[in-house]
Amino acid sequence: MTRLLIGIGAAALAIAVLAMAAALAGHSPADVVGVLFDGALGSPLAIRGTILKSIPLLLTGLCVVIAFRAGVWNIGAEGQFIVGAIAAWMGSPYGTIASMLAAAVAGAVWSSIATAMRLWRNAPEVLTTILLNFIAVHILGWVVNGPLRETSARYPQSDPAASALPQLAEIHAGSLISIATAIAAWWLLYRTTEGLRLRATGLNPSAARHAGINVPAQIARAMAISGAIAGVAGGVELLGVTHRLFERLAVGYGYSGIAVALLAGLHPLGSIASALFFGAFVTGAGELQRTSGISAAIATFGQAVVILAVVAAGALLTSRKPADA
Amino acid sequence: MLELVAASVPLALVASVPLLLAVQGELVVQRSGMINLGVEGMLLAAAFTASVTGTLLGGVAGAVAVAAIFGVFAIVFRADQIVTGTALNLLALGLTAFIYREIGSTAASAMQSNVIAPFAWIVSPLLLALLLWRTTTGLRLRAAGENPDALRSAGHSAAAHRWLALGIESVLVGIGGAHLALALSNGFAENMSAGRGYIALAVVIFGRWRVKGAVIGSAVFGIAAALQYALQAAATPLPYHLLLATPYVVTLLILCGVTGRVVAPESLGKS
Repeated sequence: MTRLLIGIGAAALAIAVLAMAAALAGHSPADVVGVLFDGALGSPLAIRGTILKSIPLLLTGLCVVIAFRAGVWNIGAEGQFIVGAIAAWMGSPYGTIASMLAAAVAGAVWSSIATAMRLWRNAPEVLTTILLNFIAVHILGWVVNGPLRETSARYPQSDPAASALPQLAEIHAGSLISIATAIAAWWLLYRTTEGLRLRATGLNPSAARHAGINVPAQIARAMAISGAIAGVAGGVELLGVTHRLFERLAVGYGYSGIAVALLAGLHPLGSIASALFFGAFVTGAGELQRTSGISAAIATFGQAVVILAVVAAGALLTSRKPADA
Repeated sequence: MLELVAASVPLALVASVPLLLAVQGELVVQRSGMINLGVEGMLLAAAFTASVTGTLLGGVAGAVAVAAIFGVFAIVFRADQIVTGTALNLLALGLTAFIYREIGSTAASAMQSNVIAPFAWIVSPLLLALLLWRTTTGLRLRAAGENPDALRSAGHSAAAHRWLALGIESVLVGIGGAHLALALSNGFAENMSAGRGYIALAVVIFGRWRVKGAVIGSAVFGIAAALQYALQAAATPLPYHLLLATPYVVTLLILCGVTGRVVAPESLGKS
């Protein structure tokens, strides 16, 4: 209940701060909020846009939920998303299912590089996953300018993928994949002993170790699942929306996943609502950019406000340690 | 080939000044017991405010603003430092892009780096080493990172020393951001920090939380960058985009190559 109230409060705060920033920049805050709502929910087209944006956000959010629940800092959803999309493109001639599997495997491999570095070389995954994001971005830049460039070689982009996700009521089947993933993640975390072990590892690794849990194995598994989900996010976005690879494919979906997960209180099913909120937020911000010339980057700012609000509320509500002198 | 590398070394040393200053700032903060992932956002904010105001001081102001939020969350709220830092990076990224678009362009006035580069490579490391290892304030600052409870029992505030560390980081990163925007570039560009803050965190680990290590690490990095410029100039068969990825690959290798026992400050990152 508290988590729900914090979530609603943080979401409202993000909209308020955005309106305030717009007002400071000389726009009418009422207009800005109006455009934001209209652009996100005002028409069937807007709602479709919101849902389409929510799909990758839900998946990258789940990627973060699984990792953070296990106590590993996977900040690498962005890179895992990108390698997932590349793998999905390369797998697309073999059909949609093969393509999605390729995306999941690529994402898992990419996150597991960070796991290996942590477990064998003690390199902090918070840094290695971020560095792997940059590397993935440049690999994508290379493939769309080089080996996977479209046959006409006019633009730095690939040809359309050889297969696509089926459309259901003008929304691609990624909607079902993402919701099924949310339910599966919930089942894993709260209805299986493996999930209990994973959460125990995240809550207190040394207690988990004393309870006989193989902590490194839990970390490795959580990172692999987490990366696989982000990879699927990239695959779904490619086969459902963009169909082509190009340099700015990921547009921060990976980093936004952190906001999605934290707003949901790291709950897989709560992430559905949280992803819809951010989907609407990002879609509304896009409309703002088109109509009022306000940079859509304001959505990134809003996500940061939400994260900070949730973190502050969590820190202030949990029992305080003795005050520092 | 060798001449090409040698010729690009001076350029590389100037080009790695923002990284070097971020490494030194983050080193002080981590010595005081905090991991500030938001150093990336501080650098970006500093580059922005420096290019708007055209001054070093403006850059410092931008870094201070981000560091102040981090301090409130990490020191006052005792909130998670990794999540806070990540959020601050998004905050700086979104806000600078938003304001940059609102004001159109930034008044970029070129800045001479012939003062800042020697400051960053020689003066600042000497001052930091003196502060950390030759003064009581430095001792207490390090104690805040090793054993804050002992510091408190001795009647000193861990919080005050952590704020001091954040202040030092702000000044250094602020100068680094200003150098990035005004000396190395022609004003602000969206996301122009390009991961230097994250690389700085890796170099702090590589340098084993020591000033000497920080300088050597940054130099190794700068020369690796010089190699990249040289390779670009020499038109190697390696594709341009893969060359762009080399700094991050080198950083990964550095993180994995730190051999032996790495001694992080005992209370690092514990809220």
